[in-house]
Amino acid sequence: MTTAGIVARGVRRSFGDVHAVRDVTLEAREGAVTGLVGPNGSGKTTLLLMLASLLAPDAGEVRIAGVDPVADPAAARAMLGWMPDALGAWGSLTARETIVTTGRLYDLDREVAQRRAAQLLQEVGLVELADAPARVLSRGQKQRLGLARALVHDPRVLLLDEPASGLDPQARIDLRLLLRRLAAEGRTILLSSHILSELEEVVDDAVFLVQGSTVSSDRIAEAARRERTWRVRLADRDAVSSVLPVAQALGRDPVHLPVDRRDVLVGFASDGDAAAGLAALVTAGLPVAEFSAATGLLEHTFLDLEGGNR
Amino acid sequence: MSFSRLWTISRLELLQRVRTVSWYVLLGVFALLLVGVTGLAFLSFSGMDERGPGIYSTVVYITLLLVLLVSPTLSGNSINGDRDAATLAPVQVTLATTGEILLGKFLAAWITGLAFALVAVPFLAIATLAGGVRPATVVISLAVLVVETGVIAAIGVALSGLLARPLFSVATTYLVVAALAIGTVIGFGLVGSSITSETTERYRSAVYGDNGPECIEGVVNCWDEPESMICEDWTTYTSRTGRYDFVWWMLAANPFVILADATPTHFDRYGNPEDMFGYLKISVRQTQIPPQLERTYDECGTAAEPTYPTPEEVLAQTVPSWFVGLGVQVLLAAGLMVWAYGRTRTPARTLARGTRIA
Repeated sequence: MTTAGIVARGVRRSFGDVHAVRDVTLEAREGAVTGLVGPNGSGKTTLLLMLASLLAPDAGEVRIAGVDPVADPAAARAMLGWMPDALGAWGSLTARETIVTTGRLYDLDREVAQRRAAQLLQEVGLVELADAPARVLSRGQKQRLGLARALVHDPRVLLLDEPASGLDPQARIDLRLLLRRLAAEGRTILLSSHILSELEEVVDDAVFLVQGSTVSSDRIAEAARRERTWRVRLADRDAVSSVLPVAQALGRDPVHLPVDRRDVLVGFASDGDAAAGLAALVTAGLPVAEFSAATGLLEHTFLDLEGGNR
Repeated sequence: MSFSRLWTISRLELLQRVRTVSWYVLLGVFALLLVGVTGLAFLSFSGMDERGPGIYSTVVYITLLLVLLVSPTLSGNSINGDRDAATLAPVQVTLATTGEILLGKFLAAWITGLAFALVAVPFLAIATLAGGVRPATVVISLAVLVVETGVIAAIGVALSGLLARPLFSVATTYLVVAALAIGTVIGFGLVGSSITSETTERYRSAVYGDNGPECIEGVVNCWDEPESMICEDWTTYTSRTGRYDFVWWMLAANPFVILADATPTHFDRYGNPEDMFGYLKISVRQTQIPPQLERTYDECGTAAEPTYPTPEEVLAQTVPSWFVGLGVQVLLAAGLMVWAYGRTRTPARTLARGTRIA
């Protein structure tokens, strides 16, 4: 049975008359990666600050591995690793010193902290820059240092605010593998991003945050059921001349099939409809080279929720 | 409170400091300044029996002045500067408590200020070689210097936790230091001179002829014989004198006065203080003595001339105030630190306008 590493119930926080977080209720499972999805200004960072024990909620309650961070911040902090969206690095310290110092602040012995730093530098791929001052690191490298810093005390719960921003493609793949491994070890991982294609590849669950409130699962299911767009590309002709044969094979009006670069865009109400559509195209003898969802499920849901709010 | 975490935070601050070039430039400039000051002090105290105390006290005063001038810059942005650089929250999210963070930063700022005192040590040693410097003077003056450095460091760190903008908190720290070092003197001067009492001065002179004072009949020469002089009538002047004896306590919290007042004073064979501490101490203590409101100058009478107490008598008649002044400073610094603790605590309930946690 899986238990929840992070629980938030009815959490609210405002700054003066700005209501950053209005009503957030979420659970993040142990051993899973949960994505926190929302547009800029939807309250993701404020929510993460409350989960990270830095900000007290105005109302509602938070549990980090069963501990209330407002009542017992020290116990919560021992169990959580937080990676902020703003990259703060001590410019004149080396990457190694940064991790060791953070480890010392988590009460690790000097030797343990040293060993842990060497291991983490390896894991996040900063071995070559281990002894260079942090100020010479690029944005992506600082991001990796921030991740190593968050992991130094082997936390049960990880809160990552935009961890992939500034990372190159290889580093993103490495991050994905690292996060999957950390989750497989039974940790709870909550990460926020507004780059949905990226989240799609790593998350098990998603929590949608719109204007400071979490979106109910019913609304999400409903959004996921809406018509999605698929890209269709035929091998032997360009997009414009593909429209007519595709429309005939699917029994649609060619006027409703727009063209985007090399592809024809076709709407299907469900995955089942899409599968049937593909079968029809193949049966009609069309050389289908590509048949794929134009948007990921997260992106589709997200855009639908966004649209619903406007 | 974990000493290991506290020291990790201090060490982190100090490491960043020692790795900046500008820090060494500042210490170098200070050393050069002290070369000049020590050289000039040797020249200016050359008339004394023993030059050591004068030179020593001058170097200590210059060091205190420099610490007062530089400390606010070194400590006045330690918390809000970190917040701006987004390096505060990653520390707050560790096991380091708010108290450890504040005290760690305070300790680092104190040690940084003491580095200036350390640069002054060779010059103090040279002054001691000139002879006559007493061990008690060295111990007490350096102890006061160390405590003063700590007070300024604490005020700077606390204000950086209270105010959102680094520039503003550094400026405020400077204002507090200026209030103590200059404001006390200005307040003393203005308030003391605006409270006045009427002073009556009676004066009678002898009648002078071509050959000195005119004498009563039968006496040819009455130099030094007031009873044989012919006297003019009494003249009376009235004027108003400032009552500095009502406001002398305003100077008690002045760092320079504290340093002077705390250090024991010794006198040379002419009855003058041996060092700069002594001179300042006597002038400040003097203000505790009420002015004489009726003064009589009688050139041809036998009435006693008004007398002025010697420096030693001044010290005997007046009370020391350094511990009160230092106590006020320590309370101010501690109070600000406690206030800053409330403002920096996490999980934060209220945030200052325009600030963010991370």
